[in-house]
Amino acid sequence: MIRFVRWLGVSALLAGSLAFSTAQETITIDFYYPTAVDAPINAIIQEYADQFMAQNPGIRINPVYTGTYTQTRDTINTEIAGGGKGPDVAVMLTTDLYSFIEEGVIIPLDDYIATLDNPDAFVADFFPALWLNSLDEDGTIWSIPFQRSTPIMFYNADLFAEKGLEVPTNLDELRAVAAALTEPDGSRWGLMIPVQGTFPIWMFQSFAIAHGQNLVSDDPAEVFLNTPEALEAVTALTELGTVDGVMPAGGTAWGDTPSAFVAGQAAMIYHTTGSLTTILNNAPFTVGTAFLPSGPAGADGTGFGAPTGGGNLYIFDTPDNPRSEAQLEAAWKWVQFLASPEVQSDWGTRTGYIAARISAWDIDPLKSRAEEFPQYTVARDQLATAGKEFSSYRAIDIQNIINSTLSQIISGAVPLSEAEAVLANAQAQIDNLLADYR
Amino acid sequence: MATKAAALPQLVDNTSILTRLFRALLPYLLIAPTLLGVFTFTLLPAVRTVHDSLYQPPRMARGEPTFVGLENYASLFNPQHHLGARFGQILGNTLAFSLATVGVSVPIGLGMALLLNRRIRAMGFWRFAVFYPSLLPLIGAASIWAFLYADTVGLINTTLRALGLPTNNWLGNPNTVLASIITVDIWKQSGYHMLFFLAGLQAIPQDLYEAAELDGASYWQQLTALTLPLLRRTLLFVLVVALTFSFQTVEQLGALGMGKPADRGNLLLYFIFQNIGERRNWGYINAMSVILAGMLLVFTVTNFFLLERGREDER
Repeated sequence: MIRFVRWLGVSALLAGSLAFSTAQETITIDFYYPTAVDAPINAIIQEYADQFMAQNPGIRINPVYTGTYTQTRDTINTEIAGGGKGPDVAVMLTTDLYSFIEEGVIIPLDDYIATLDNPDAFVADFFPALWLNSLDEDGTIWSIPFQRSTPIMFYNADLFAEKGLEVPTNLDELRAVAAALTEPDGSRWGLMIPVQGTFPIWMFQSFAIAHGQNLVSDDPAEVFLNTPEALEAVTALTELGTVDGVMPAGGTAWGDTPSAFVAGQAAMIYHTTGSLTTILNNAPFTVGTAFLPSGPAGADGTGFGAPTGGGNLYIFDTPDNPRSEAQLEAAWKWVQFLASPEVQSDWGTRTGYIAARISAWDIDPLKSRAEEFPQYTVARDQLATAGKEFSSYRAIDIQNIINSTLSQIISGAVPLSEAEAVLANAQAQIDNLLADYR
Repeated sequence: MATKAAALPQLVDNTSILTRLFRALLPYLLIAPTLLGVFTFTLLPAVRTVHDSLYQPPRMARGEPTFVGLENYASLFNPQHHLGARFGQILGNTLAFSLATVGVSVPIGLGMALLLNRRIRAMGFWRFAVFYPSLLPLIGAASIWAFLYADTVGLINTTLRALGLPTNNWLGNPNTVLASIITVDIWKQSGYHMLFFLAGLQAIPQDLYEAAELDGASYWQQLTALTLPLLRRTLLFVLVVALTFSFQTVEQLGALGMGKPADRGNLLLYFIFQNIGERRNWGYINAMSVILAGMLLVFTVTNFFLLERGREDER
């Protein structure tokens, strides 16, 4: 109701100020979206846009596929730096939050949420872990969860049954079970964790949280890399390959890991929930999914804690080129639509992302999918123990520092005896970057 | 005689100032389109790169950059700087990569050209076999090699395992990743270099060799006293092209480890590309570009100097 009154007010204003214009003029919303999973994203998004436009005759959605997350970010930044407006709405990584806040190119969404019939119910219907990276340190909501993911463990259930093994729940069990499943001739590894490529930070974070210290806190000007917990975590991760000998030393490459698992060359892998559909479709054996094994953190020594990942919906508005209230209202409507339980239920089923709305799991198509394949519910249930994904000011550079540092240690380019010094140097680089924000 | 002398000034008079101006300007008009392109797309960006390498970008996109002198360059050699901590390693990799690929692929190209410049059976086939890697797009060729190198499913390791030999994670092992990338480039470039050497060889007049044979020169003597000196121009050209290529082609890294692990497989141009997304690094990016261009210039000028020296003797 309030929204309608506001809309009426804006319409009257527009009609009054522009003699020849009418309030029914079509508003176009430019929507930029990247893709990171193997699904016909373009067709699905266009379908949603058509549904939305049928429901909202005054608004036209212009979906623009913008490549990878990095390409999307570069596109947006270049447009805005060149004096343009950028997209009205975009799906971008949650880790980009503080870059956008600092540049002043996105708007807070609290005021829009407040206009809903029941704002508290809206917020409470998202899994709490997914809000961790959608708010700033003061609790202001800047983005809405859309295509979110988390790392889980996939295992070859047939192999476990054949050998009479239990699925490991903590790191000690993981080492023992992985050792039992590793073939000495190299034809099969007990475990593969994709930390070899450009992106070890995400998998490492799950080890860091499970060892008792996440890389980040609520303060976006603090990063905790040079800590005893981080050193223990990176040591445990590295030694799975070099000492325990249950995974390839240095880890595996991101894209090779699911293929190796499907080909029977790994009994267990860590990977994103986004790979679940592809793995289920291709594996010639029964695929099991489980929480990432816990580490020594916490009073009882069962520190779970996978980070979350993926992309959120942001509404853009640049100070140099402010948008009209009506334009922003329309953008918010589109965001609300994409984050609705109905769309989230469909989106989660067709892409493998975790549907962000709790109520999305009670409606079809996701409801039947989860009943048929209980593997889908593991990631959802793991969210209860999930930690905050990496997030800070200067996030791009700091993630590069951490990725490069982890790569040095895990690959063996630097011996473990020097790992502490390497972490200390990386922390110094990070603190240099964050000095301006403290 | 007198009439002829009088006719000359008249001829000059007949040519209007406009025509003379046109004639004087014609060469410049003709090169103007090219010049405009070179100015807009080469000179201007080059000058701007040098200029911007002396500035630190503003904190907000719409702010003003600050002049920092050579600070951006100094930061690249500071181990506590987020790019400086990695720059030294990557600069070293780049030099090693260029020297190794050029140092190996050019002699191989020359050797193959000498072999394939004779009358042998199925020569077309051999020439094509050696040259075809150059026909493949670099990223496609690199993807093929990525499969060969892959740790668990790769052809090389599968073969080694079948033979009972120890395997190696070619792109994941920090000690072998650069050599693996260099190998791809040598395979890719040797055939291309061969093509130029073949052309150079065929431009050498056969009667020189006939004369040398009459004088009793052995094959080795013909090679060192005739072929190589006469290939000097070709060699210079190939060296310059090979060096430029080695500094400029980096797309294979997209398929071959993306610079990982631990930057042991990273190269300068790819590092620049990796960091260009963050606007606030643009000062350092420009400084790195200037350093890269500077290195290229030094190598090229050195090549010219070394190989052009002594040309006087040839005349």
